[in-house]
Amino acid sequence: MLKSIWLVPALPLAGFAVNLFVGRKLGRWAGILASLLMVASFAVALGVLNDLLELPAENRLFLRHLYDWIGVGRFHVAADLRVDPLSMTMVMIVTGVGSLIHIYSIGYMHGDPRYGRFFAYLNLFCFFMLTLVLAQNFLFLYLGWEGVGLCSYLLIGFWHDRPSAANAAKKAFIVTRIGDTFMLIGVVLIFLRLHSLDFQQVLFPHCGPGMHCPPVAFHTQPSGVYTIIALLLFAGAIGKSAQVPLHVWLPDAMEGPTPVSALIHAATMVTAGVYLVARTHVFFEISGVALVVVLVVGLVTALYAATAAVGQDDIKRVLAYSTISQLGFMFFALGLKAYAAAIFLLVTHAFYKALMFLSAGSVMHGLQGETDLKKMGALARAMPVTTAMFAIGALAVSGVPPFAGFFSKDQILAAANQTGHEIVWLVALVAAFFSALYIARLIFLVFFGDDRTELHAHESPPVMTIPLGFLAVGAAVGGLLGLSAVTGKLQTFLAPVLGEIPEPSAGLSEAMLTAISVVVALAGILVGWFVYGSGKIDWMALRVRLSSVQRFLAGGWYVDDVYAATIVAPGKAGSAFLAYVVDEGVVDGIVNAVGIFVQWLARVTRRVQTGFVRTYALAFLLGAVALLVYVGFRL
Amino acid sequence: MRTPIAYFLVVSAALFAIGTVGVLVRRNALVIFMSIELQLNAVNLTLVAFSRMNGDLIGQVLTFFSMVVAAAEVVVGLAIIVNVNRRRRTANVDDLNLLKW
Amino acid sequence: MPLDNVVFWVFAPISIGSAIAMLFQRNAVHAALFLIVNFFTIAVFYLVLAAPFLFAVQIIVYAGAIMVLFLFVIMLVGVDREESLIELLHWQRPGAIVLGLGLIAEVVAAVRAGIGFAAKAPSHFDELVNKGGNPAALSRLLFRDYFFPFEVTSVLLIVAAIAAMVLAHRRRGIAPVEAEAGVTEGTGVSGSEPLV
Repeated sequence: MLKSIWLVPALPLAGFAVNLFVGRKLGRWAGILASLLMVASFAVALGVLNDLLELPAENRLFLRHLYDWIGVGRFHVAADLRVDPLSMTMVMIVTGVGSLIHIYSIGYMHGDPRYGRFFAYLNLFCFFMLTLVLAQNFLFLYLGWEGVGLCSYLLIGFWHDRPSAANAAKKAFIVTRIGDTFMLIGVVLIFLRLHSLDFQQVLFPHCGPGMHCPPVAFHTQPSGVYTIIALLLFAGAIGKSAQVPLHVWLPDAMEGPTPVSALIHAATMVTAGVYLVARTHVFFEISGVALVVVLVVGLVTALYAATAAVGQDDIKRVLAYSTISQLGFMFFALGLKAYAAAIFLLVTHAFYKALMFLSAGSVMHGLQGETDLKKMGALARAMPVTTAMFAIGALAVSGVPPFAGFFSKDQILAAANQTGHEIVWLVALVAAFFSALYIARLIFLVFFGDDRTELHAHESPPVMTIPLGFLAVGAAVGGLLGLSAVTGKLQTFLAPVLGEIPEPSAGLSEAMLTAISVVVALAGILVGWFVYGSGKIDWMALRVRLSSVQRFLAGGWYVDDVYAATIVAPGKAGSAFLAYVVDEGVVDGIVNAVGIFVQWLARVTRRVQTGFVRTYALAFLLGAVALLVYVGFRL
Repeated sequence: MRTPIAYFLVVSAALFAIGTVGVLVRRNALVIFMSIELQLNAVNLTLVAFSRMNGDLIGQVLTFFSMVVAAAEVVVGLAIIVNVNRRRRTANVDDLNLLKW
Repeated sequence: MPLDNVVFWVFAPISIGSAIAMLFQRNAVHAALFLIVNFFTIAVFYLVLAAPFLFAVQIIVYAGAIMVLFLFVIMLVGVDREESLIELLHWQRPGAIVLGLGLIAEVVAAVRAGIGFAAKAPSHFDELVNKGGNPAALSRLLFRDYFFPFEVTSVLLIVAAIAAMVLAHRRRGIAPVEAEAGVTEGTGVSGSEPLV
């Protein structure tokens, strides 16, 4: 079965091709076909995983060569797939959560005029994402990287007649492009300095080709080179995974359909950056500086986004900032060298964030598209299933045991405490508090309290709620994958690739840490309940009193406005100058001047043609006589 | 023959020049054509004179052919003039001035 | 004085005189007649230059056929049309005269630089070249060495005849197109601006 790994990306690609060309004719079957192919891809992945597990733990590596892609001079790149614990973890997430979201979309996108095209794009995205995580060399990974960016653009702007959606899609693509450019420079640098793009040769230069060996930070170049490469790759991750300062596209990306937000902007595409750093963690370890940068960026993002989420009024934007915050936690974990913990959080986050997005979609579906929190409330009675699903996800986010989020977050906080720098751990705790707070606010404002809706809400159809159920199960029990803080099953599985999690060295004991993180989570929920759910505080009035604070948070600390003023406005002014003054004025002016000159010249010289034959004859004679004189003198 | 050949050449040149001036100065298409014939004849005279000087008959052969071609040309040229005259009712070359700016 | 000298000095002025006279005639028929005189003088020159065949051909073809054809067409086109003396193109006449004189001067200079004004024709031309008579000698060249051009000229004549018929063909029953703008009776005024 290992050899059939190529089917895993190929099946969604086939779905894309079919739906692209005959999607409209398929009607309802477009969605069913796409979902079936994703489920089939998941089944194949399951088989591959099974085969992988049968290999001894130290040797779980399988390389599948597809074909020689580029061969120019000394530059050779092959299309190779890499099956190892890390890539298979990602593959299971993409195919599993992807299949559920495909099924959900059958109901959610029902009636849309471009139904078939939606599933084509969704399948294409899955193909690119799977290519990204299965790639065995940097260029192939970059192919997937760019591809998911493209699909993100297509899907965010799926309802392209809406100007806000079109703008959001553009913004997403352009902002991630900034990161991608740096990443490409990093890839080029890898080739220039390390003379190959293949993972085996670049990341494991001390092993034989195709062999597996423990990831040791073995370097052949001065560490400064690795710092630059690591930072450049991380820049790409900052863009793709929406970290500060390139995070601004993700809240706006909520313009896309909710399944898109669930799949791309929660579970898979935004986690590509985390995967990249985990995959190339040897660079970061050699460098040291890069690792610190990752940690700081992750921590800052986690705190920033958690505070911003508290002030959002749009249900999807709360979840968007929540995603940014959780991704920040993942990078934070990577910065602490707890790579397996970061991946663990990635896995659990995929489940509960997708669950919450799809539940939010269910809510929006029930309220005919309403997203404003101020216009929701007391939906628990009308939509019980959705409420239950959402609640499970919410508890997972907050980090309440025994839900998945608890275990993953707990591990990270423990690792933070072990660094010996207490401040890092404290900041992380504050971010965790806010995480619980914004989620509690969300739950209480949407499902409980006074009914501020003006509509009669109804529960969603089973085709939407059943996938929610699967995800809820995953969110609830996914934590079991990493039951113990240090030697959980997932970590063991990933250890050959990512190394062991650092042993506890200093700081508080494990039990104490767990207790503190639970307390913090519960405190956040309590505050949320007190302000928004208990009715004891008039949160509307409080909101008006603290309106400047609320607007500051809602505007994402006004980062967007700062960018607009410092980057966008000068850019527009520069473009206007180039377009109107240089292009229209100078360039067109030159071209027009040439034309005008030719016209003038023609107007003057055409008077030679008088129409009188005799004049022409005189000219002949004149020429002939002159020629004779010339010849005569020469002779 | 005791006349220097050069004299014939000068006469021929004079005839050619007169023919040229005729082409340029006259406005009647037929007179222009006749001047062209004059030019042709001047050239024929030159050819025969050189033939006599060089001691072979090649110049005369060329003159023979030149006459044939001139005859054909006259035929076609006059047909054209007749045609133009039929359309424009004029034999004045200055009236045919449409090919101008 | 040798006979050919006399002949030359009598006919050369006639030749040039008739050519100039042709230039000055306002009536086309008069010009044609002067041209015929000129052709006769040229024929005499051919005779002097030991080309009796061409002498005959010149009279028969040129003076006899071509000029007659000319006269036909002059009659057809308008025998009483007189060309006006007014010249609209100011520099035409002076330019033509200057250039014509320049042409003559150049040829004189070329001749002086080339064969010189004293060179006489070689003698014994008739015995050596015109063996069996001039026509026989010419035919020896024409029908052997220059046979192909000879045949081609016959084709040329046929083509010319056909071309003339096609060009001058008049469709029956259709009146000729009425005069368009700019047609006048023999004047040079046509409403356009001359260059010089």
